[in-house]
Amino acid sequence: MNEILLMFHVLFGVACIITAVWLFVDVLHASEANLNRIRGLSWAAAIFMWLAFLIGGYWYVTFYPADKAIILKGPWPFAHSFFMETKEHLVIMLLLLASYLPVAAANNLAANKEARRLVLGALAVIALLGLMIEGHGAVIAMGVKVALLAGQH
Amino acid sequence: MNMENTAVSKYTISFGLSLALNSVANALLVVVKEKSHTVTAAMQKITGHQWVTHVAIILILFAVFGWWFARINNGQGPKIAVNRLITTIAAGIVAGGLIITGFYLFAD
Repeated sequence: MNEILLMFHVLFGVACIITAVWLFVDVLHASEANLNRIRGLSWAAAIFMWLAFLIGGYWYVTFYPADKAIILKGPWPFAHSFFMETKEHLVIMLLLLASYLPVAAANNLAANKEARRLVLGALAVIALLGLMIEGHGAVIAMGVKVALLAGQH
Repeated sequence: MNMENTAVSKYTISFGLSLALNSVANALLVVVKEKSHTVTAAMQKITGHQWVTHVAIILILFAVFGWWFARINNGQGPKIAVNRLITTIAAGIVAGGLIITGFYLFAD
């Protein structure tokens, strides 16, 4: 069950990143015709991020201590001491940014160049920080794997 | 003639400033709780998990400062240019990211 939860955590995180990239292109071509879609997608990105965060947070508090113990006994302790520690705190900034997105996208992006720049900047950071955090997750999973493999020999 | 509108809503500015402020507050809270077992223990006691308390504090501060900034200037919100807002948010996020990454890379 906890592996399924973890997959949904990753799924919603990826959905947030993909939505941010889609939005970036839409905002670059913002017009009266796509304003409603931009605002709807901004809410979608925020909701995907919140779902990823809540599922990941529940998994972290409930199931991660067992993985942490395995990682720290293995050859990649930095998978916890650096990658998980930074991930669990950088993700809070990502959550704030994703929550801010619908507020910034509520402005008339078709008529306001400055507002477009603001939203484009936020989207670029969401996509890049999101990808970095996904990478951190991969290293943490690898930390468990190498520890378990090392224990077999 | 330039028909571009350059104004953004007061909540865009107030929550943008709150975002910048809380990105740094988030990082500083990491340093404080990692350096003080007393703080970590107190945070653990509040919700049962120090990280849950950490998240709750930052989310509450984000909401409170966002609403509070919107109410200054007789309810008109802060008067700053959007370019300045973008620079402030970028500075807050970069500073927060660097403090967190630098702390776990060098100081912890």
